[in-house]
Amino acid sequence: MTANTVLVLADERPETTRRGRRRVVAPLIWLSFLIVAGVLVMAALGTLLAPQNPAAQHLATINASPSGAHWLGTDALGRDVFSRVIAGARTAFFGPLIIAAASFVLGNLLGLFAGYRGGLADAIIMRWVDFMWALPALVILVVVAGAVGSSYWLAVVVLIVLTVPFDTRVIRGATLEQMPRPYVEAVKTLGVPRWKIMLFHIWPNVSPIAVANTCLVFAGSLVTLAGLEFLGLGVPPGTPDWGLMLSQNEALLFTNPLATIAPGVMIVLTAISMNLIGDWLYEQLTSRGAGR
Amino acid sequence: MSGVGLLFFVLRRLVVLAILLVLISFVTFSLLYISPGNLIDILLGARPHTPATVRALTNEYHLNKPFMVQYWLWAQQAGQLKFGTSITTSLPVTSEIGARLGLTLYLGIYSFVLTMVFGVGLGVASALRRGSFIDRGLTGGVMLGLSTPAFVASVALLYVFAIQVHWFPAYGVGAGFFDEFWHLTLPSVALAVTTVAYVVRHTRAAMIGTLDQDYVIFARARGLSSRRVLYVYLLRNALIPVITISGVILSSLIVGVVLVEVAFSLPGLGSLLVTAATAKDIPVLQGVVLLFAVVIVVANLLADVVYMLVDPRIRVGGRSA
Amino acid sequence: MIPEPRPPVAPEAALGPVLDVERLDVERLRIERIRPDRRDTIVSAVDLALGPGETIGIVGESGSGKSMTARAIMGLLPATMRATGQVRYRDRNLLGLTEREWQATRGGEIGLILQDPFTMLNPVLTCGKIIGESLLKTPRRSRDARREEVLRRLAEVGIRDPSVADRYPFQLSGGMRQRVGIAAALARDPRVLLADEPTTALDVTTQREVLALIKGIQAARGMSMVLITHDLRVAFAVCDRVYVLYAGSLVEVASSAALDAEPLHPYTLGLLLSEPSAERRTGALVTIPGSVPAPDDVAGSCTFAPRCRWAADACTEKSPPLAEIEPGRLSACVRVSEIRAEMGALRQRVEEESSSGASSPAAATRLIQVDDARKIFKNGRRTVTALDGVSIEVGEHESVGIVGESGSGKTTLARILVGLEKATSGRIAIDGIPASDWASLSARDQRKLRSTIQIVFQDPYSSLNPMRSIGSILREAIALGEPTIKDRNAEVGSLLTSVGLPPDYAERKPVALSGGERQRVAIARVLAAKPRILVCDEPVSALDMSVQAQILNLLIKLRSERGLGYIFITHDLSIVRQVTERLYVMQGGRVVESGPTDEVLSNPSDPYTAELLKSVPRPEPEWLATAQ
Repeated sequence: MTANTVLVLADERPETTRRGRRRVVAPLIWLSFLIVAGVLVMAALGTLLAPQNPAAQHLATINASPSGAHWLGTDALGRDVFSRVIAGARTAFFGPLIIAAASFVLGNLLGLFAGYRGGLADAIIMRWVDFMWALPALVILVVVAGAVGSSYWLAVVVLIVLTVPFDTRVIRGATLEQMPRPYVEAVKTLGVPRWKIMLFHIWPNVSPIAVANTCLVFAGSLVTLAGLEFLGLGVPPGTPDWGLMLSQNEALLFTNPLATIAPGVMIVLTAISMNLIGDWLYEQLTSRGAGR
Repeated sequence: MSGVGLLFFVLRRLVVLAILLVLISFVTFSLLYISPGNLIDILLGARPHTPATVRALTNEYHLNKPFMVQYWLWAQQAGQLKFGTSITTSLPVTSEIGARLGLTLYLGIYSFVLTMVFGVGLGVASALRRGSFIDRGLTGGVMLGLSTPAFVASVALLYVFAIQVHWFPAYGVGAGFFDEFWHLTLPSVALAVTTVAYVVRHTRAAMIGTLDQDYVIFARARGLSSRRVLYVYLLRNALIPVITISGVILSSLIVGVVLVEVAFSLPGLGSLLVTAATAKDIPVLQGVVLLFAVVIVVANLLADVVYMLVDPRIRVGGRSA
Repeated sequence: MIPEPRPPVAPEAALGPVLDVERLDVERLRIERIRPDRRDTIVSAVDLALGPGETIGIVGESGSGKSMTARAIMGLLPATMRATGQVRYRDRNLLGLTEREWQATRGGEIGLILQDPFTMLNPVLTCGKIIGESLLKTPRRSRDARREEVLRRLAEVGIRDPSVADRYPFQLSGGMRQRVGIAAALARDPRVLLADEPTTALDVTTQREVLALIKGIQAARGMSMVLITHDLRVAFAVCDRVYVLYAGSLVEVASSAALDAEPLHPYTLGLLLSEPSAERRTGALVTIPGSVPAPDDVAGSCTFAPRCRWAADACTEKSPPLAEIEPGRLSACVRVSEIRAEMGALRQRVEEESSSGASSPAAATRLIQVDDARKIFKNGRRTVTALDGVSIEVGEHESVGIVGESGSGKTTLARILVGLEKATSGRIAIDGIPASDWASLSARDQRKLRSTIQIVFQDPYSSLNPMRSIGSILREAIALGEPTIKDRNAEVGSLLTSVGLPPDYAERKPVALSGGERQRVAIARVLAAKPRILVCDEPVSALDMSVQAQILNLLIKLRSERGLGYIFITHDLSIVRQVTERLYVMQGGRVVESGPTDEVLSNPSDPYTAELLKSVPRPEPEWLATAQ
């Protein structure tokens, strides 16, 4: 492209001439934040919030439909479903939180590094990423559980290992997009040290994707971990956990469907809220000028 | 790149894939050894611990030979599709897999077809009617689909269609092709929920990107028929990015198969994997994992080849000034 | 790489005349962008009249709405835009056509050529298929007949090599692609041709050839044509009549000759005067202060008033209509009769003024010495030789130009000089320090080099970090360039003032600044390093014409204030004439000619330099004639 093309394509108006617009946060986003906050509270306070002891078995009233005493009915062992749903937020929230945080840090560092350095380091990292980024995580979790034994925290660690390549790939792509831009070259010629360029110049422009991606990772890990619980290969039986409840109460579809639908709804609601928040954050950050 | 070039490309990739498979097989083999607990006890499973059984096991699994030799012997057997016997059922692993392969394949292909037909179709429709009610509805649907894992979808579908309205059978596989089709519809739909969402999202984004391209405007400016513009200009260029996510789609399908088979109690490879994992039946695990790995690796190669065939910039190579 | 064909053939290769060319009239065309919360005006009111066989030009800068006008005439506006008004062709209002009805008109009656040959052609089809699909379905042709027709059309645009039909667009150069695009646009033998900046994306030497080609074909076929361009001189050379568009409204309409002789609107005058001449060096360039506004911001008044030196109250009271000042001449300036004489005087003064050349200090110390520099890029299996033995030298305080087209190596040379690339071989010395590989120097030497030479980039829209405020960008530069300065904020203020920006801009983010303002900030940023010589890589090519002169004047001013030297890299000979004393002409990685600017440009000895000079647009039809 010759110089003149840039002239013709630069059909931009400076923002100050546009009339000011207040950004209205859609009610849907408020709802999403509310849901995530709610889950966080449930996860943190768990049994304190539950009206009844999630492990207490009321053998007289098993498979009961919703009533005043049990808002969502009881399960096959007479346990209060509502309390178990609240208590189940813990395993739904903290594992994914740690996974998202760890892969955010590692993925960003590796991705920035690979994108900026290029060369051999980048080639090696890309080989590894190409191999790992699209592996079926749940299958690997199942196999690990089969070989080593079911364990929630082991699954979390394995998921971190499986998610870092995905993050790295995304961040590396975003970094590569920024690299050829003149503002990067300009600060190079001014003498800004390399690490400062990566962290303070490139990364702020990559941050919208990084943040949005982390929200996606959270939602994805939540769903995968719940899937593992559903298969009975995660937390020990008896633990209140949405995925496990879904599977254990599947037989109750005929008598107390809420027992299995409620945890399912919680999974979907939390995941969708995080996805929406991720998209919204991306919009917000790019509208402030990042990465344009 | 001519035919010869294409051949070289495929050969080079095959070599890489072969190396990958060797690595994977090595890791798979090592599963036996990373299990905690006494190796003999694991292999015995529920059988009694007598000197006779221990000796038989040691011979069968070559436990007194060095690690690498064991691997080599195992790999040889694996190459001949012999994976030993299941610890829980004492049946050959290969026959266990063989018995269930058909069902999983049926399920997988059914879901794949659903994914492509609905994913591409809805994605294109959504892009062409950008901003309309359909589009916004679909965007919401995509969000929902991406956030609804296969097992939740399974239970939801079971509840609505099998229990509330009795349109579909709730369990079982059915006999004969069409009966099986009927029985597997709910599971396939549950499986396809997430993958359709992926494909719709990507197709829509690719289409919208293509719609704004200069070459589409120039095509319309020359008076080309809408049909030609749609097929040769829009679809052909928009579908290229979809090939790049085929790896994710496959992964998603494999994960989904496992979940759906368990949710619907279908005797397929997925549920075999889970029961083997629960029972620590390592030989079965090894067999199924290796099979999945081969499928993924081969599918990726196919995707690369298709991508190369479809985009002349890669096929013919070279750039202009 | 397929070589460019020689200058296009005479019209005999063109296909025969089209029959039945009719008028195209546009009345009160208004284009708006509709968004959920508001409407933006793109074009507020345009009237065009195109008679059979005529050529009219629409001239405007970015934001004028000229491209959208062409799209509206073809019914190809983006989904978010709406056009109202009348586009009358063959007794129908084209704006009311359905998509189905459009298919008969597009291509067959009215053809459109787009500006960017790199994105205009479908990348997955061969050129032959692209032209083939554009041909009318009747008469039905066999495959051989169709191929023959395709080859005929390629020959019409100067491509005689039949293998081009089997190649993909990405295998051809920009000029070739544009020719294929023209052939495809003409495949249905339209009567009217809309050419939207058809040569803007091409190299300077190719531009002239392709323009001549289009003009030749138009004449041979007897088509009417609307040429959209940002360059008045090109419009004068090609068109019978010119419409000047500014911020979405027409400000002047006249025949080329009349407009060139005497513009009757301050904007047209400003445009004419801010285009530097390649013939002589003038004094300071005449600029139009400010930048192009959005049409909505100047609604209800004369669109040009905020920037016009003759603006009065009458100009902002209401939107002035296009009035007929003389037969065949329209102007939207309400004060034209009063200021006409002044405008003429201004023009005369500028044209007569001729500077003898900038003060070049005699025998300045040599600051930069490049001997036999070579740079080879290896891209997988392909090697590209960007620099093939280049030797230049630049003295302190000198302003030296490096002129060339894309592929000449000028940008590579610039990047090597500032350490962004390293030379494969050759000796480079900057202020005595060997500088062919910056990475191998000590930190102290690198610092010294940085305070000697800095670079201003071409694209102002991406040379500032969008996430940072102007102040923070400048503070960082100051911290690196002059770490001893304690009061950084004050220095930021003074830097901004020295490039003509108010100090409170430090709070703003780049996204709030126009292109010209951003480029000023980029210049301020490098000034913070207090360099002795500045490499300017096409610093104004990405800016509007009316803004280019502002930046050039700024650069000239800074030079005289600070004794800066320049290495001015550009493809534009007129700029080079105004800003530099010495000149190197590069082609294909080599220096083909060098010498004092005035001499080289007045008496070029190398044929390539002569070719470059010929390619500078001159406002007469003869400019194109010599291309054939």
